[in-house]
Amino acid sequence: MFGDNAKQTVDAAISRGISKAEALDEYGTVIGVRDASFTVSRGEIFCIMGLSGSGKSTLVRHVNRLIEPTAGTIKVLGEDVSAMGKKQLRDMRARHIGMVFQHMALMPHRSVKDNVAYPLEIRGVPKSKRWAISDHTLGLVNLTGYEDRLPRELSGGMQQRVGIARALASDPEILLMDEPFSALDPLIRLQLQDQFSGLVSELQKTTLFITHDLDEAIRIGHRIAIMKDGVIVQIGTPEQIVTEPADDYVREFVQGISRLKLVKAHTIMQPINGLDLSTMPDAPRADGETDLDALIDLSVGSDHPVIVTDGGEPVGTISKATLLRGIQGGK
Amino acid sequence: MADEALHMNAPTTSGAATAAVADIEVNRDELDASIEQFVVKNPGYYQQAFHKIHDTTSGIPMTFNTAAALLGPLWSAARGVWGLFWGFLILEIIAWVQIGRGTWGELGAADLQRALEQESRAQDFFDRAAAAIANGDDGSRFETLGNNLMLAAERSRAAADAAAADGFMILVSGLALLAILRIGQGIWSNIAYEKQYSDWRVKPDETPSGIDNMSALFGGLLVLAVMPLTIYRFTVENVPDYLTAFPANSDTYSNTARWLEGQIDSAAAAGSGTFDGIVLAVRSVLDTVSLALMGTPWPVVMIVICVIAWRSAGPRVAIFTAAALAYIAFLGYWEIAMETVALVGAAVVLCVVIGIPLGIWFGKSERAYKFAEPVLDLMQTLPAFVYLIPIIAFFGTGNPPGILATIIFGMPPVVRLTALGVRGVPDSIKEAASAFGASGRQILRDVEIPLALPSIMTGVNQTILMCLSMVVIISLIGGGGLGQVILEALQFAAKGPGLLGGFAILFVAMVIDRIVQGAFRRSDLKN
Repeated sequence: MFGDNAKQTVDAAISRGISKAEALDEYGTVIGVRDASFTVSRGEIFCIMGLSGSGKSTLVRHVNRLIEPTAGTIKVLGEDVSAMGKKQLRDMRARHIGMVFQHMALMPHRSVKDNVAYPLEIRGVPKSKRWAISDHTLGLVNLTGYEDRLPRELSGGMQQRVGIARALASDPEILLMDEPFSALDPLIRLQLQDQFSGLVSELQKTTLFITHDLDEAIRIGHRIAIMKDGVIVQIGTPEQIVTEPADDYVREFVQGISRLKLVKAHTIMQPINGLDLSTMPDAPRADGETDLDALIDLSVGSDHPVIVTDGGEPVGTISKATLLRGIQGGK
Repeated sequence: MADEALHMNAPTTSGAATAAVADIEVNRDELDASIEQFVVKNPGYYQQAFHKIHDTTSGIPMTFNTAAALLGPLWSAARGVWGLFWGFLILEIIAWVQIGRGTWGELGAADLQRALEQESRAQDFFDRAAAAIANGDDGSRFETLGNNLMLAAERSRAAADAAAADGFMILVSGLALLAILRIGQGIWSNIAYEKQYSDWRVKPDETPSGIDNMSALFGGLLVLAVMPLTIYRFTVENVPDYLTAFPANSDTYSNTARWLEGQIDSAAAAGSGTFDGIVLAVRSVLDTVSLALMGTPWPVVMIVICVIAWRSAGPRVAIFTAAALAYIAFLGYWEIAMETVALVGAAVVLCVVIGIPLGIWFGKSERAYKFAEPVLDLMQTLPAFVYLIPIIAFFGTGNPPGILATIIFGMPPVVRLTALGVRGVPDSIKEAASAFGASGRQILRDVEIPLALPSIMTGVNQTILMCLSMVVIISLIGGGGLGQVILEALQFAAKGPGLLGGFAILFVAMVIDRIVQGAFRRSDLKN
């Protein structure tokens, strides 16, 4: 089971030297992250969403201790990361955690294959073996045929796929993705997001995914944490975030998000309240988990309200008015 | 169609935009308040002057600052316009010197002096002529000489009178220059002051504003310190010695020099073990390189050098190398040239072996680099002749001290460029490596050194060229090789041998430079 990042950075205990952060004038120091506690379960994609300076990159770097936490505990696979010795920490980074960076951070003097093999090289895996693994991993990200190129010969999207392959090469349980798709153009980003979520669910990697793009977080994440000024404002599933924003800050973010694929029938349905269902046998029926997009299709094909069912039993109805309000969001 | 639409729309759009910009009213209230805050005294005048400057569309804005014209540099000092102050102070000194010379300067004094001397000597001759005539001899020869001298004296007097008459002209020209300068300051001061106002808006704390009494006093003192002495020096014929030469005490010099000599001698004696060890180490490196170059039969060395040139820089450089080596060999310089190459080679090897680790250290530790930078600057700026002396004192003469001198001069580039390269490695790549569990040593080996390599190679290349340039200089402290040939030729002004040896050095340098550049370019292409 992955992780428990409980950090109580009290007023006196302040993280120092972190640039993306909220400045605290009192001490002349800068708070990167404070009061951020959450647990991510195995195989889950946990998105951390926030604007630049909100501390999300700092937070993720605490997990593999690229940045030392000032206070609090971080447990990875049940082990306390902050208590690890140098060697133990390096071993954990090499074996259990793969990381992908916003600016790829590939080594320009090494071929694609050698870049992907680097985590294995550090662990002392012999060349024949690590080249085989590297070729296989590059296959996973559809880069077969580019093994012997230099990174700069590849496009941005391909380079980031090399980055992902490198993170996967040592078959880690955990992936840390630090805004991996932010530097790419929108179409490539969409492609990579789909490719990535498919790959991760197939490989069952526990993923901590950093992004400043709520669309991306909703598209990829099982759960989302929204950060502001180093503090986690809300944690929840994409639907929860969209339908029940914790405060105005989150609400502002959520406004532009399309609800069609997120909001489910059971969220907007009205109680049956004495409506005689037998009078409308033609009324379309939908499961409680049906999303708004599908509900619209059903509703358009009939004059009757949509009947929401749970295990075949009707539990509520959605009239056209309810549906429209549901799309509009909570009015 | 689309083109037409674009064509039709364009004038209206741009017309509307122009009209909107032209309609903007100039609002001066805020500006005036700010100008008042800047000038403090006399805001009304400066507001008007600055407005005029701001409204000027071309040429020099014509405003006249009477205070600046009357007070001259004192005004600029009080207002803190120091650029204007210094510029016009120096120009005004010229004007004042002219005025001084015209008023009380002893113009024609030298000519008058000469005339008096000539007259007394003529009188001398006349006396001798009179004596000769009295003796019954022919005195006409003396008389002629005396007459000639009298004529010369008359000319000198005429020149002196003319110079004295020039005094008036000089006075007038000085006054005219001063007037022009003051008018110039009157016109220029507002322009300069407006510039200062613009600077003040950006950096209000660092730019002087208002009238500062202290700074006016300081300016006045500067004028007093500079002007009277200078004018005195240039207008009076016989100035006291202390004005022309600094009254230095010769004892201070000789005592300090003697004390320093004693210190160096005792330091050399105290550290003789260390210094001998260093010399021994350098000598062993030199001997190894020398043995390889001079112990190997010359045809082998020649072929190897040509092949290296071919491999690293291509056939053209290889042909040039062969020709250069032939020149050296046919003139009998082979052995001496190889000694030079060995000297340079040993120096470069030591520079690289010591310099690259130092560079890496300085690249990683900002503190260490801060301490090292002045030392590196010193090593590069100090003329070689200066440190040859302590090198002789501590290490004696010969080839190894010569190599040490070469290292002092040649090492900074490789250290600097290695540090630069290591510091230029992107943090993101280092972070990525450590995120995958790399240790500090692995990051150095796999990331920092490979990424800094182009910079390091540039440093090595520059170090080689710097070391080559020391070849002649180290022959002054007993270094051998081609430098010695040049030094001997220099001592005997032997043009032929000097030129032949000079070309030999040139060819050695060019061959090494071509080969290194070629190798460098190839590794560049590969990356």
